[in-house]
Amino acid sequence: MAPIAVIPGDSTAPLFKVFHSAVGQHLLIVPHSRIFDLTHDLNGDGDAQGLPMALLAALADTASGEVPLDHVVEPQPQSISLNVSSSCNLSCSYCYAARGSFQGAQVDPMQWEVARVAIDKLLSGADQKSPITVGFLGGEPFVNRRLIHRAVEYAAEEGRIRGLDVRFSVTTNGTLLHEEDIELLRTHRFAVTVSVDGGEQIQDLRRPSGGIKGSYELLFDATRSLLADPGLAQVAARATVARGEFDLRARFEAVLSIGFREMGFAPLRAAKPDGDALRDEDWPRYLDAIVEIAKSELERVRQGGFIRFSNLAVALKQLHRGASSPYPCGAGGGYFSVAANGDWYACHRAIGSSAFRLGNNEGLELERRREFLATRHVHSQSACRQCWARYLCSGGCHQEASSRTDSSCGFIRGWLEFCLAAYCELSVSRPELFDPGT
Amino acid sequence: MSRQAPIKLIPRNVAALRRGQQSADGARLVPGNPVSTRLESGVGNCFPGLECDLRNLERRFFPFLEVDIQDTVIDVRSVDLAGVQASASNGEICADTVTTYGQISSGLSRGRRWTIRQMRGTFGPLGVQTLVIADLRIPSTGANRLPPDAWTAIRLLTEGTEVQLTLRQGNTTRSLTGNRARYLDDNGALAKMFLPGELTQSLCSPWTHDFRDCGCFYWASNHPDIALPVLLTPPPITPEINAYVPWERKARTVNTLPDPATIDPPVELSYYEINAQWQTLNFVLEGREIVTPYQPGTFTARKFASLAELVTNLRYAAGVELAVIHEYLAAAYSLKVVGVPAAAQADVAAARAELMRIAYGEMRHVRAVNDVLRALDPAAFVPALGVASQVPAPQLGIFRPVVPRPATPEAIEAFIDIEKPSVSVDGLYSRVLATLEDFGSDETQQTVRSIMADGESHFETFNFIQEWLDKHSPADYLTNPNAGVAPANNVLHQKLQQEYVALLQRLFNGYTLGIPAGAADINAARNAMLGTTGLDGAAEAVAAAGFLVAFDRISDARFAPVNHP
Repeated sequence: MAPIAVIPGDSTAPLFKVFHSAVGQHLLIVPHSRIFDLTHDLNGDGDAQGLPMALLAALADTASGEVPLDHVVEPQPQSISLNVSSSCNLSCSYCYAARGSFQGAQVDPMQWEVARVAIDKLLSGADQKSPITVGFLGGEPFVNRRLIHRAVEYAAEEGRIRGLDVRFSVTTNGTLLHEEDIELLRTHRFAVTVSVDGGEQIQDLRRPSGGIKGSYELLFDATRSLLADPGLAQVAARATVARGEFDLRARFEAVLSIGFREMGFAPLRAAKPDGDALRDEDWPRYLDAIVEIAKSELERVRQGGFIRFSNLAVALKQLHRGASSPYPCGAGGGYFSVAANGDWYACHRAIGSSAFRLGNNEGLELERRREFLATRHVHSQSACRQCWARYLCSGGCHQEASSRTDSSCGFIRGWLEFCLAAYCELSVSRPELFDPGT
Repeated sequence: MSRQAPIKLIPRNVAALRRGQQSADGARLVPGNPVSTRLESGVGNCFPGLECDLRNLERRFFPFLEVDIQDTVIDVRSVDLAGVQASASNGEICADTVTTYGQISSGLSRGRRWTIRQMRGTFGPLGVQTLVIADLRIPSTGANRLPPDAWTAIRLLTEGTEVQLTLRQGNTTRSLTGNRARYLDDNGALAKMFLPGELTQSLCSPWTHDFRDCGCFYWASNHPDIALPVLLTPPPITPEINAYVPWERKARTVNTLPDPATIDPPVELSYYEINAQWQTLNFVLEGREIVTPYQPGTFTARKFASLAELVTNLRYAAGVELAVIHEYLAAAYSLKVVGVPAAAQADVAAARAELMRIAYGEMRHVRAVNDVLRALDPAAFVPALGVASQVPAPQLGIFRPVVPRPATPEAIEAFIDIEKPSVSVDGLYSRVLATLEDFGSDETQQTVRSIMADGESHFETFNFIQEWLDKHSPADYLTNPNAGVAPANNVLHQKLQQEYVALLQRLFNGYTLGIPAGAADINAARNAMLGTTGLDGAAEAVAAAGFLVAFDRISDARFAPVNHP
């Protein structure tokens, strides 16, 4: 794909990183995330004495089929999320969407016509040979279940007629699922993310229902049948971690005991006046907590199990494939989020934020989109240009960039270092977990 | 100077593999030399040469000095002061020597001329002498003769022996002592002191009329003395179209066939005429002059009828590679390591090294064929590690048994036959390649092309080996000309068989897993071949005991012999 702009990286930025694992010494070529085993001992971490620059530069070169990392490309949208609901039955204190109202930017739920036009635009513009995803967000999406059902049936049928691989995703608190919803999820290729913070106590505290039954009990009852028989759906749990709540091990086990096969954590980063977001002193503790879970999962995996910890599973899969991108996500590139009023935003977390509004159901605003893509390229982030993890982390969530600190970046690098070593070890002890050659 | 341990990078993730498996970076069909071309495949000599001018080696014969050599003059051009300093800090040269190097360097930088006036050293067959460079003269004959000129003198210096130089600048005289430098490193590559382009810096550049001063018509190798004539359209049906013509012929006809090169002397362009009409001289590719854009030739080999037939033949091809490895290793290890008469030492050492190099090449081919098989049908892939019971003979459709034997003249002749282009093994791969155009990816085709290119190089090398060994009696170079397979109860032979079976098992596991998962097994297999405790050591022990290095048939079904389809 021809670039719309080229943003050169810093020529003095590190091209490689030497790291160690239980199976030896390894070399990460930073551009394109190539991992090699190093067979002779370099003098200490990061000592480039033994590695000719010409070799490193050659290894860092873009290979055919790869997009150069300094290119700004403008792909066709391949996935959208529909913010179908503007309300939620729970009232979690840290909700970025303010229960779906986005601080007043989204007052009414999405109407069918808005959803239909957005789906039509997506299906007609996307690359026909690659999977296309329609996602549902809110508020709690199932507050507007009729729209979800209608949109799924419509997109699936249109996809069938046009010969497209249409898939779906939904992020839900899981408390409002009816049997008809579960049947919908089972019979389509749905990626279902259920927001659940842990066992009954913390779940009810963090995600209050406001009713007689706590959100834990509601969720337990409503998801039971889906977890027992997910059909085509892939169901994972996701917990938000606020500061001071680092007993993640217990929360991990509690959520799995509900019947989830997979669970991940996301730290609360966006600063709010109430102060629940992680602060500098919290990041090392958070890292310790997730590494502890990852280590015990790895021990399980070595004995033949599969990885239930999403953060680890995703990281290992991405490292195996050599994920490397100047963007942390598809926002404004292959992914857009459609607000209830039909405006297209770069990201679902930015509904109502004018800097992220890049068009509407009529079409995308070319110049705004290009400016967004150029501004958000990791080579444009002065804090990231010299970091060895720049193409793995890519600056992190655009919405959270303002909360980036040395300590939070230290967490990212620490976690990546752990995962790099874990990848090398696991690809030796359980190579079949990684599909070779793809 | 300490020798740096070589770095080996083994790709682990998919992105690392992708960088190394780029078909765009790897083998692809380009006009020119095959991928296996080495420096010695070119035409280099001690005049300007065609691909390199070997005289440039002598410009760095003395540590830290770069010199220019004329008939009876040796001028110092530069001093590697950084090297001098490094050597001094390692305690390898003394302070006085450092000072002398510094004075020479400083003088050169001020435009002063430093020359080597006198040289004492070991001049090969001419022995230890002290030469006054300006006194060297042609002719150089008889007992106690001197080298005829400065360059020959330096060329004769025995590598590693002490050389004493007397250098002069005006009335100032200085002495330096050092050992004649090594031009190659331990791996046979050019020593690091040579800069890129240094060996070619003195080649003729025809377009700058250099050849006039060389008193020759030397051109780059795509402009040879003789070439096949341009193919006219339509090509005339006459044998002359395949007869060589003088490339620099005076008659620049375009519509008729030129006179053949056998007319003596050929009527060629003079220097002046070449300058005046250089653009009429044609490019030569694949031996023939061309006047239109180059089109790579197309394969005419007969395709196999089906994917299944292709797979069967590839499995047989892997078996043939293993079979010839057996024969080549038996021959290589049969060559003496000790007790070779002095006159034969260099030839025997070279023959042994080249035989081993060819065997290594065939080992890579076993892997390459397995890679192609995997690529054709990953789900059905089972490693092909059975040895062929028979290998293709030069006559089409005829096969001969696999016969490990010492490197007798007859054995080398048989090796030449099996590597001969367009027949035998090459013929088999031609059909594989043609069929891969239908069933295989570009990568698999390039893999097979690379195997075929290696085959051409092997054929050429066996011809060299034949030439080297034919000068000597087999008794001089073979440990035991009548060596046979050791008895089954021979412990050395048994050890060799154990190593071999373990090696195949590792390869089987590695190939089964594929890359990257199988890399550990494949590397372990490679490592298990090396050293006195490995397959190499076991083979040397068998050979030293006067037996043939031969591998027994293995009962394991995975390694069962494979018959020709």
